[in-house]
Amino acid sequence: MLVPEKMAKYSVEKIDDACMRMMYDRQGYNMASSKVRTSSFSRKVQVAPTSSVPGLKYGPNGTIFLSSGIPDLDKILGGGFHLGSLVMVMEDTEAPHHMLLLRTFMSQGLVHNQPVLYASPSKNPRAFLGTLPATLVSKDDKSLKSDAEQKDLRIAWQYKKYLGENKPPIEERDGKVEYCNDFDLRKPIEKHLIAGNRVECVGLLDCSSLAGIRDSCTKFLSQLPRFDGNITSAGRIAIQSFCAPQCEYYDKEWDMLSFIRSIKSMVRSSNAVAFITFPASLVSPSVSKRLQHLADTLLAVKAIPDEDKELATLLTGYQDMLGLLSIHKVARFNTQVPVILDATTYSMKLQKRRSLVLECLNQAPVDGSSGSSYGTSGGCSSSSNTGTLDF
Amino acid sequence: MADAICRVLRDGALEGEHATSLTINDSIHSPFGPIVFDYIFTQLSSFISSAKSQSRGIVLVKFSSSPSFTVELLKARGFDIATSHEWLRVLDCYSDPLGWKERLKDRGAIKSPLTEASPNVSICKDVRNLNDLFSMVLALGKELVGDGKNRFSVAIDSLSEMIRHTSLSSVACLLSNLRSHAQVSSIFWLLHSDLHDMKAAAAFEYMSSMVANVKPPTTENTDNFSLLEQNYKRGHFHASLKRRNGRVRVMREEFSIDNSLIKFTSVAAGENAVAQTLVPKVQFNLQLSDKEKSDRAKVVLPFEHQETGKSVQIYDGRKPGTHELEVEKSKKHEDSGRGEIIYFRDSDDEMPDSDEDPDDDLDI
Repeated sequence: MLVPEKMAKYSVEKIDDACMRMMYDRQGYNMASSKVRTSSFSRKVQVAPTSSVPGLKYGPNGTIFLSSGIPDLDKILGGGFHLGSLVMVMEDTEAPHHMLLLRTFMSQGLVHNQPVLYASPSKNPRAFLGTLPATLVSKDDKSLKSDAEQKDLRIAWQYKKYLGENKPPIEERDGKVEYCNDFDLRKPIEKHLIAGNRVECVGLLDCSSLAGIRDSCTKFLSQLPRFDGNITSAGRIAIQSFCAPQCEYYDKEWDMLSFIRSIKSMVRSSNAVAFITFPASLVSPSVSKRLQHLADTLLAVKAIPDEDKELATLLTGYQDMLGLLSIHKVARFNTQVPVILDATTYSMKLQKRRSLVLECLNQAPVDGSSGSSYGTSGGCSSSSNTGTLDF
Repeated sequence: MADAICRVLRDGALEGEHATSLTINDSIHSPFGPIVFDYIFTQLSSFISSAKSQSRGIVLVKFSSSPSFTVELLKARGFDIATSHEWLRVLDCYSDPLGWKERLKDRGAIKSPLTEASPNVSICKDVRNLNDLFSMVLALGKELVGDGKNRFSVAIDSLSEMIRHTSLSSVACLLSNLRSHAQVSSIFWLLHSDLHDMKAAAAFEYMSSMVANVKPPTTENTDNFSLLEQNYKRGHFHASLKRRNGRVRVMREEFSIDNSLIKFTSVAAGENAVAQTLVPKVQFNLQLSDKEKSDRAKVVLPFEHQETGKSVQIYDGRKPGTHELEVEKSKKHEDSGRGEIIYFRDSDDEMPDSDEDPDDDLDI
């Protein structure tokens, strides 16, 4: 458990001014922007300061976010990946959708000039860098406009005069560096972003024990220590297919668990996010469960069957779906309040065949004659032991 | 459908992709894996020998039976053995897998030669060293197709025997090396899934782009002999293909065995109780498409200022009679630029309103 050195949500007015200033300064917050409190106990409505470092966003409760590269996912997770968290993605053995998430994660880091460490169980990990997507050059900001419109309720009551004050602040885009870019999955990334040694690549096949990759991670993270001062840069670690069977350490399950645990603790005390994908059905069930519990944020991807008439009648937009993304766990730092999502499973689609969007699963209009109830079928099982024909 | 699998193997892999790979799983309840393997092997061989496939040759790694069996099989299916040298190489891991006979021969304990030396066949004397096995397979392949862009296929008769000698991860490493080699077009192997634990079967399915399961026609384990007898003549063939668009295609067929000749017949599409368990709670679509959004923006709400300066006509449920129109017109002249409610009492004996006007809140 982290020592809760960060401030609580409710504050007592009688705290010494100097003490409060010190607490604020530690986080680099701007004191001037907070409102005047009228009662002893009041919710601290803090306007989060805009970050001076591109690619980082300050969130509530003293947390800092890194973007995942997919705008919809950032929104669902409440801002992005927490700095210092361990994100794990459970792969589906039948479809490579985790690679999409990995690619956008790495590309976002490169666009924001953040150091990236990449490890994969292939002989030539550097070859993967050529498949990273480039940012999408969009002609109009349609998505931003529609968001703003929805927040404007059109009411005929007198309260309309007062509505302007309570409008939530719309994020400013300074036009130069966006927090989260849209990526064009058909275009490869600009060469200069992956040139040289900007991305450190490690092959997992070479190491018989995990000592090699652990040392690389330690060295990488030592460049990004977390102090209480201002943050200058953040880093990203991306490990692909961690428990792939071709790795020599595949049989050593406890070694793998202890490696993940050490990564988690190293990342927690540095300014980085670790993103690890692993095929959950390839390790024994207890180890798979342990790995899932170790994660701060846990996602899972699932393949969908092709030409399945039942699914086509059940869901709208079935034709365009690539796969399903489930969000099992969302990291929450410095607060006891959990995130309760409206929906945990989203469908991944390609918008205009280029950028990845996540959509809620929507039920197609039910044919009156079918008569079966879909809502009671229970959650999509995230069990790791699905056979080829068990859906 | 088994033919569909053969076609996918025939078409091989695109540039930069891993080789297409197939796992054939069988079990004691329906032990026809070798027969299915032979079927696919002969189909692919016919494509290769008639130059219709991406690969120009095939390397067969035999663990579970002697290479002479393959020769017999090919003869029975009508292949010309004399020209098989051009497209087939066999790596014999059956005759002397651990090198014992070699060592006995060196000591003079046995005198007879191992097998008749055939130009197609190379013998592997140490199957525990998978790096050597890998290089032998590559060497045989390059013998067939040369060093350039031409590709070859690999078939492994039984992975179960291979796993017996070495660890799972080294076999997986060998397979992934083969798959990622630029000159390998497709690769397929047979696995007896009930000989290994779940992890092994799952690991090989992870590495394959197609999985074929040979199953008995009934799933009950009965000691009913008549059913067992049926199990030895027929079965179900389930296959799932991972397509390039990221989706999985699932197919089913029935097969029947007749004198070690297998025949596949398609089965009527049965009930798929698939969709029910897959899909989590779905919601109704509350989102608007772009057209719907623009339509919504155009809707005129009745009590809102339209900011056009006109007074708003409120429909109060009555047809506008002439009397009311006149009254309205006169009123309009007085309060131009302001909206107003004109209230007509329903009947004269209605109680006069008290001081509060319930419509004070409306900003009309």
